[in-house]
This record gives sequence, structure tokens and C-alpha cells, in this order.
Amino acid sequence: MSTPKAMQQSFALRFSSGAFLAIWCLLAAFPIFWITVMSFKSPVDAFADSPLDVIFGPVTRASGDGLSVVDIVLGLVVLFFAIRWAFTRLPALVRQYCPPGLIVLGWLVGALVYAIAFVLVFFGLLPLILGLLNGLLGPLGTPVLGLTTDHYVAVWAENEFYRNFLNSMLVTAGVVTISLTVGTLAGYGLARSGSDLAFWLLIFALVFRALPHSVLVAGYLPVFINSSEILRPIFGEGAPTLYGQPWAVIAVLVSINQPFTIWMLRSFFQNIPAELDEAARVDGCSHFQAFRRVIMPVMWPGVITTGLFSFLLGYNDFLVTSLLLDAQNQTMVPAIAGYFNRETTTTDQVEAVAAAVSITAPLFLLVMIFQRQIVSGLTAGAVKG
Amino acid sequence: MAEIQLRNVNKRWGSFVGVDNFDLTIADQEFLVLLGPSGCGKTTTMRMIAGLEDATDGDIIIDGRVVNDLDPKDRDVAMVFQSYGLYPNMNVYENIRFPLKVRKVPEAEHDERVRRASAMVELDDFLHRKPAELSGGQRQRVALARAIVREPNVFLMDEPLSNLDAKLRVSTRAQIKNLSHELKVTTVYVTHDQIEAMTLADRVVVMKQGKVQQVGTPTDIYDHPANTFVASFIGSPAMNLMDGTLQGGTFSGDNVSISGLSAPDGPVTLGFRAEDATLAEGASGQITAPIYTIELLGDATMLTVRAGGQLVSVKAHKEYRAEIGDMVSFSVPVGICHLFHKDSGMRLETGADQHAEIA
Repeated sequence: MSTPKAMQQSFALRFSSGAFLAIWCLLAAFPIFWITVMSFKSPVDAFADSPLDVIFGPVTRASGDGLSVVDIVLGLVVLFFAIRWAFTRLPALVRQYCPPGLIVLGWLVGALVYAIAFVLVFFGLLPLILGLLNGLLGPLGTPVLGLTTDHYVAVWAENEFYRNFLNSMLVTAGVVTISLTVGTLAGYGLARSGSDLAFWLLIFALVFRALPHSVLVAGYLPVFINSSEILRPIFGEGAPTLYGQPWAVIAVLVSINQPFTIWMLRSFFQNIPAELDEAARVDGCSHFQAFRRVIMPVMWPGVITTGLFSFLLGYNDFLVTSLLLDAQNQTMVPAIAGYFNRETTTTDQVEAVAAAVSITAPLFLLVMIFQRQIVSGLTAGAVKG
Repeated sequence: MAEIQLRNVNKRWGSFVGVDNFDLTIADQEFLVLLGPSGCGKTTTMRMIAGLEDATDGDIIIDGRVVNDLDPKDRDVAMVFQSYGLYPNMNVYENIRFPLKVRKVPEAEHDERVRRASAMVELDDFLHRKPAELSGGQRQRVALARAIVREPNVFLMDEPLSNLDAKLRVSTRAQIKNLSHELKVTTVYVTHDQIEAMTLADRVVVMKQGKVQQVGTPTDIYDHPANTFVASFIGSPAMNLMDGTLQGGTFSGDNVSISGLSAPDGPVTLGFRAEDATLAEGASGQITAPIYTIELLGDATMLTVRAGGQLVSVKAHKEYRAEIGDMVSFSVPVGICHLFHKDSGMRLETGADQHAEIA
């Protein structure tokens, strides 16, 4: 495949754009790489002066936690096949054994079984085999790379980080569900409406989107704290105190996020030709049926992309969740900030780093699962037909 | 089986008039073509019949029932859209089946009806494909099949051929003509292409700026255009129209003088069709002028001169050769001439028309 003459770039241009890209990748990827490395080391190594010590972790190794060459090679092989089969064998199996009507359920079950099998093999079977092998192989079996999972165990088991994880899931699930439900209905209505009112509503929404989040938090906080008094005339003695409740946070986050989802979904709906609605309505649909049976199936890339952004907002939010939630309902991000704020030993800090690495995992997973829809949603050419 | 009546239908957006007092009865099983340049209100008229647009005034009556306040789904019409309006997430089979599904036609009939409709438009081999995997002509046929599968009372077609290339347009046009002959369903067809109108229609409605200019059979409209707009819109090339004055039965303008016309004296526009005039020997014709341009069309040679303040074209035989600037003379007998009022553009009935019919 040769580039047309007009599109050929000079060597200098290619070199500089390549160099720029490389530097940019390095800048973007380095922090993630570094905290991942740190999170697996004992505190002495993690905060060592020499970067090589941080990477290879001599102290961690000395305390008996390390990987030999065999460990690394075998581990990588298992990982490689695990990922590969996730994209080849798993879909084939799901398609083969799942009744066509229940494909979503089939995927969920398939993914769950696959994940459990992976955990059993990778953390159960593999260490046993490797323990035997390392003993037999002599020099190849001695640890070269320090690695300990102590901090992860500490974070998730001892610090009960899973509670924060569940809270985060609750809050983000709420935010995504409500944002998308309201957003698709409103976005569709606004996209198909030609009235001036629709225009002003959108401008109004934009103004709300522009407000700093702290304005909303400051406005809600006193009301939430006193909510049982305020609501008593309506609900009687059982009136809830909203402060500290995940539902209250969901409400605030939705109000922050909603203008954005409406705008984004509206532009997706506008990309769908109005002829499609009209064809459906002439074919025998009511307005709502046309929306549900014809427009929504075409909208999935847009819904998923918008859903991802809503997810990120709820998942990564610090300000709202840290101010409006009490300790036992705390989500992950403020919890990690809490680790750093404690009477910090270096161990606490490495645990905070391990927690920070942990919370990126669901994001990777999401993007991996929905990558095709996200790409077509972002390029938004999928609806031409 | 349905007759459509449009009773003084108007469509206005604020002060803008989209359709002005449209009044017409479309007979059962008739193939009616709405023809006009873009923005003339033809599509709006059709959308009002479909129920996708509300009429500002007037009644729309389908099969004896006033449908103004009915949803599109309750009017029992089927529509083919300009850019097809296929559902991109469904394959061809599901696209065609969709109207049956939403209208709760018994499941058992679906397969047979879908297959019959797809056979009519020769799509049998493509039923499992998605619309994105089809060519423009195939997509158009899917849209047609989706319209016929339900056997509706009325077909509406909104410029269904305008997105196809020239060759495909001809073959799909033939298919539509054949289908409408077979199905015998009242059809309203919108187009800006006068050839489609001439070939398909039982009756043509020519529209301009929301107003109906003329209603008639294709021959009617071709042979007796009601005004200069219709005359210049129908036919390829369009009718030659020359400005001049009529005095004592003689039309005279730059390079042109035609006598023997019977109409009141005054400024008029005279029109004739390029294929009706012939070359004259020497300077014996009614129009004599230097050639402005000469075009070889293959089956004929088109000669254009300036006469009566306009460019006038005449078809000569295909071997005719000349240079630009050569003098040429056309014979324009009175029988082929149409006279129009100079200002209003309305047709002036003349004795010449009767001559033409006798000849």
C-alpha cells in the first residue's frame, strides 16, 4: 500500500511527529506504569532513591517475594492465552451453547465462568506448579524481580476496600441509569423538536453544565443535613436524613451530568435521519414505538459512549462524594485520598497506591468490552444506511 | 382501493405559504404524479396525505373518511422515501417484515407475504443482507417491497429515483410502472423529473411555489401547456419561447416573423417545440438567424439561434453539419405555435390549435 504523492510527508515531518507521539505516550503512560510497579513492592523499595531499585525491588526479593525467570515466562504465556481466548474461544463457546434469545445473559455467565477459571488457574494452580519448577531449575528458578501482593491483600481484605468498591458501583450504576434514561428521552425529544423552547432549554442546560460543581454541593449540603426536619411535614417521623446517603449523591451527580448527556445524546439522535422515524410511523408505529423499535436499536453506540462518560463522571468524582457521603458509604476515590491523609507510614502510602491501581482495572475492562461501540460512537458514522 | 380527495388544502408556516389551496380528487387506482421544481410544495402535499405534516386548512379525505386528525399509522398508506428510510439494524427480510410485525398481522402469514413482496422486486437473493451491504438500486427496491408487503390503500412515493444513477433510474422506473399496473393501488408520486412524470403518470399535477399550474394527462400537458411555466418545464429540450408582438395575425420579433395567427393584437410570447420545426431552404423560413451553437446528439443535430430575444433550438437531421455563425433558416408553421400572454404567461387560445389537431 503506497501513499499518494500528495500525501507523502518529508522525513523531517515524519520524524518530528513520530518523536512527538513517542514523548506523549511516555508522558501519558509513565504514571500508570510507575504506580503499578510501586504497588507491588515493599515500602523500602517503592520509595528507594534509585529507579532501578524501584523496578527490581532488592528488599522485596530479599524477604522472599519475587519472580524467577521461569515465573515471568510462564506467567506471561498464561496471560497471553487467557486474553487471546477471551476474544476467540469465549465468543465461540457463548454462541454455541447459548440460546439466541438470551445472548446477553449468556455473555454474562460466560464471562463470569471464564473469570473464575482464570483466577483459579492463575492464582491457584500456577503458583503450585511454579513452586515445584523453581526448586528443580536452580539458577533459573531464583527470584530476579521483587514482587509482593501484600498491599493488595491489605487494601482489599484488611481495609475492607471492597465496601468502597460496592459503594462506588452503587453510585455509578445509579448515575448511569438515571442519566441515560432521562438523557435518551430528552435528547430524542429535543433533537426532533424544531421549537424555540427546545433551543432555550438546551442553552439553559449548557449554563447548568458550566456551573462549578462546588456550587451544587454547597447548595445541597445544608439542605441534606437538615433534610429530616424539612421533610417531616411530608413523611412524618420517619423522614430520612439525606446527608451520607448514596441516593443523595446520585441525585447531585445526575444533576451535574444530565446537561452533558442530553447534549451528547441529542447530537447522536440528530445524526439519525428523521426519515427513519417517519418510515416507522407510516409503517404502523406510534411515536413511542418508533423511538423504541427503530431509533433505539440504531442508537446503541451513542448510548454506550454517553454511558461511558457518565460512568467516568460518577466513578471518578471526588468533590461531591467526599463532601456528601459519610464514612461507611464512602466511594473509592475519597477513600484513597483518606489513606494519604492518615498518620502516614510508608506502608499506608504504598497501600494507597495499590488501591489507586485497583480502581483503574474496571475502566480497562469496560473500554475493552465496549471498544467497538465506543469507536463507532465517537466517529458516529454508523447510522448511515 | 381508495379515492383521495384534497379539499382546498393549505399549508402555511407563519407567513410562508407552502401549499396554496390545493383542490383535487385522485381517482381510485390512479397513478398521479406531482411535478415541479424544488420548493414548489409537492413533497409537502404528499406528506400531508401521509400524515407526517398537518394541513393548515382544508380536508384530506381518503376512502370517504376525513383523515386530518389521524396518525400516519391509521391512514393505511405506505410511503417510499427519497433516501429510502431503511432500518439499518435489520436485514432486508426484517425490513420488509417490519410493517407486518407492528401492525400485528398474524405471524403465520409473514413469511409468505415477505417472500411474495421481495419476489416482485427481485430481491430474493438478498434477504439476509443488511441495508449497508446493498447498492442504491437494491435499497430502493427494499423500500418498495416494504411498501407493498402490507397491501395498503394508498402508495406515496417521494422522489424514489432521485438518488439513483441514470441507467438504474430507467430500469427502476420501468419496474415501478409495472408494479403499479399489477397492484392497481392509488399512487401519488412526487418528482422534479419531467421524464418520470411523463412516463409513469395517468395524470400529472404541475406545481410552482405552492400553486397548482396545470392538471392533466401527460399528453395534455405536453401538447397544451397552460402557461409558459409548464411549457418551459415539460419536454427535453423545453419549449422554445420567444417574445414579440402580434399585429394583424403576424407575430414579429428579432429574426422572426410568423403570420397566419389568430389572436388579439399586442405583446405575446410564442412557443413551439424543437422537434416540430424543420429546416427551411435558404432564407425561406419564419426564423432566419446565424447559428449560436450546434450540438450533435447522435439521433439528431440540435441547432440553436437567437430569435425573439431568446435562444431557440430546433432539431435537424443527424447528418446536418454547419459552423457557428452560418446563417440558417427554420420553418415554423402556424400549426405548431402556442401563444401565451406576455405578462401573465397564460395560454391564449388561438385558431392555430385547431389547425394542429386537424393536421
